[in-house]
Amino acid sequence: MRSLRLFAALLAAAVSFTAAPARADLKVVASLPDLAAVAKAVGGDKVEVVALALPTQDPHFVDAKPNLALALNRADLLITAGLDLEIGWLPSLQMGARNNRILTGNPGYLDASRFVSLQEVPTTAVDRSQGDVHPGGNPHYLYDPRQGIAVAKGIEARMSQLDAKNAATYKANLAKFTQEVQAAQQGWEKRLAGLKGAPVIAYHRTTAYLQEWLGFTTVAFLEPKPGIPPNPSHIAQVLAQGKARKVKLVVKEDYYPDGTAKLVASKIPAALIVIPGGTDFRNGQTYVQRIELLVSRLEQGLAGKGE
Amino acid sequence: MSSHPRRNPRALAVVLAVQLSTSAAWAQSQTGQSPPASTTAPETAPPPTPGTEADTPSDAPALSPEEMAEIEKALGADSSTRARPSGDTSPVSPTATNDSGVTPLRLPSAITGGTSFLNLSFILDLAVAAFSSKEPLQGGAHDPTQNGFNLQQLELSIGSVVDPYFRFDSNIVFSQFGVEIEEAYVTTLDLPANLQVRAGQFLTRFGRLNSTHPHAWDFVDQPFVMSRVFGAEGNRGLGVEGSWLTPLPWYVEVIGSATDAKGEATARSFFGSSNERVLSPLDFQLTGAVKQFFPLSDDLSLLWGLSAATGPNPTGYRNHTSIYGTDVYLKFRPITEASAQQLVLQAEVLYRRRQAPEDLLSDWGGYAQTVWRFSNRWATGVRYEFGTPAKTEEGRVANDPLDPEWIADRQRISASVTFWPTEFSRLRLQAATDRVGWRATPDYSAFLALEVVTGAHGAHAF
Repeated sequence: MRSLRLFAALLAAAVSFTAAPARADLKVVASLPDLAAVAKAVGGDKVEVVALALPTQDPHFVDAKPNLALALNRADLLITAGLDLEIGWLPSLQMGARNNRILTGNPGYLDASRFVSLQEVPTTAVDRSQGDVHPGGNPHYLYDPRQGIAVAKGIEARMSQLDAKNAATYKANLAKFTQEVQAAQQGWEKRLAGLKGAPVIAYHRTTAYLQEWLGFTTVAFLEPKPGIPPNPSHIAQVLAQGKARKVKLVVKEDYYPDGTAKLVASKIPAALIVIPGGTDFRNGQTYVQRIELLVSRLEQGLAGKGE
Repeated sequence: MSSHPRRNPRALAVVLAVQLSTSAAWAQSQTGQSPPASTTAPETAPPPTPGTEADTPSDAPALSPEEMAEIEKALGADSSTRARPSGDTSPVSPTATNDSGVTPLRLPSAITGGTSFLNLSFILDLAVAAFSSKEPLQGGAHDPTQNGFNLQQLELSIGSVVDPYFRFDSNIVFSQFGVEIEEAYVTTLDLPANLQVRAGQFLTRFGRLNSTHPHAWDFVDQPFVMSRVFGAEGNRGLGVEGSWLTPLPWYVEVIGSATDAKGEATARSFFGSSNERVLSPLDFQLTGAVKQFFPLSDDLSLLWGLSAATGPNPTGYRNHTSIYGTDVYLKFRPITEASAQQLVLQAEVLYRRRQAPEDLLSDWGGYAQTVWRFSNRWATGVRYEFGTPAKTEEGRVANDPLDPEWIADRQRISASVTFWPTEFSRLRLQAATDRVGWRATPDYSAFLALEVVTGAHGAHAF
């Protein structure tokens, strides 16, 4: 009995010790670091933002580590990319977090894809023989800063709803963010004017929004079907296509393997561009800095200086 | 033709021709206007951009055999650096609760019109097996048990959110001998103080493996300690479970459940097949567990569990069985750079004490396994299992009422290779040697198993 009482006392001590008052008014968890960076820009110092995935992780395949459920347990707002991108791991975290605020359908759950003008929405029935198809549309939308602004607007509205007393701050932050992105956007577009109409080869179907913004065309993908790893006959075909179309750029995210991409780029020959998979949010990178890095990589590629 | 008045054949032909041409015109007008002006293309279609050449441009320069060889080499190198999901799964808790691993989840409203109330998936496990022994000691209900083809299971998972307060999950297993409700339970969604309650028929969360279904297993069969201690189906029953996520700074989950202590295949160390009546709360099986998670680094994680279960056994009035267990799951998966490598170490040890008339029987059992995913589609693993005979208080080998033949140590070593075409299918080759202490010679076995998952996309648990 005595040991039980001691245990209870220890537990109580630990609880009171760790349950220190939170400084931030709103605790936000974003599934991906890009979303976290946008949320941080809108929330500023009124929010505490945690990203579940690292930028070096393929967002389709993240381990549902229990400590991520812990972050969700304490969250007021969960922001997801939606469109089934995180379907392989986020639902089990949501259920395990015992926090009904962030369950799908409640105000603490925000699907950022709602604010995006979607690309590649299937117009016909889909099944898994077509590979890892996203039936709601292409989920890789934050490569396009215009979609970034749209998402920021949606996040601002939700933050103001959940935390009305700081609504003015969120509004001001959104205006600042929008202005900052739009100012940078003009420069980015000028620097990448040469991409207009250029044929490009990509690893996965991640370029839909980027090409819509910058005006290049993705003529082939290294994956024969979304999510299916490249195979020799398909690569031979892609290579032939790349040569025929005089492709200048081969684009892949840093979380994809680089052997095949390197080979295809060297054979065409084209510049290989490794684009960062996400914002390095943990080390303080902002969304604008992240797009800046993406643009400068593309710019280098245009100048013929790929990896 | 009864609806038509009689006509001469020529008139009929004219009528038909007119009808045909109008329907053709109608069809044309339909197709002419049907594709709405849209900039979107399905993610499935070949290159979505206009002006793309046909898939196989005939005028493109052909590739030399050397170039093909080079392509294959580069692909080989890549396959070891492509990230892939881990295999195991569960919906309710990130520390591997119940469930098949293919938690049925809501499909996006884009294709369901937002009215998806029920989600289903099927898992099919098939194996072809070869055993050196005439009577192989395969205790699990989903193990391959005979030479030749085996239907391990056809599992149907149905689940859905009921309302803002409850979620429903069920796993119904079809075998060649009938249909069985393995699990059917309700989980609360909206309890305060980090509490969650499950009620219904469910697998208890004793240890790591017990609460999972074959889809989440790295090996084709289950460790023999599970079927020896709990029964062929694993430890489950009708009952109620409460769990609490503590507010400590690291992940600590505390679980307690009370379940029916009956069932030869689900609670054999307790009431088992005997038909005892519940007379007091002590006639239930009580299970408790603590799960802790330590993110040692971005790449290295440790999940550690302690479990205990106690319940009545039929050997005499107020005779009880107690089972204690611990499990570790250590996973190395580099995520700070592109890599498909995963190395997982998993082990469980169980200690069982049974009160018998004028004696106390105790025995040990457990397994340790390591699985190395060395490329995006391939993994290999080794598993070691052991089980001691039940000993009396004086340390002599006891006359075990459940397994009278178990008079010596048993050890089994299995090795396997897994190939995943996608995360929805896997092909496994497994070989084992079973050193059964009470048999004259070791047993050998080999399995080739295929598993497919179809239906709603499931979420993977840690």
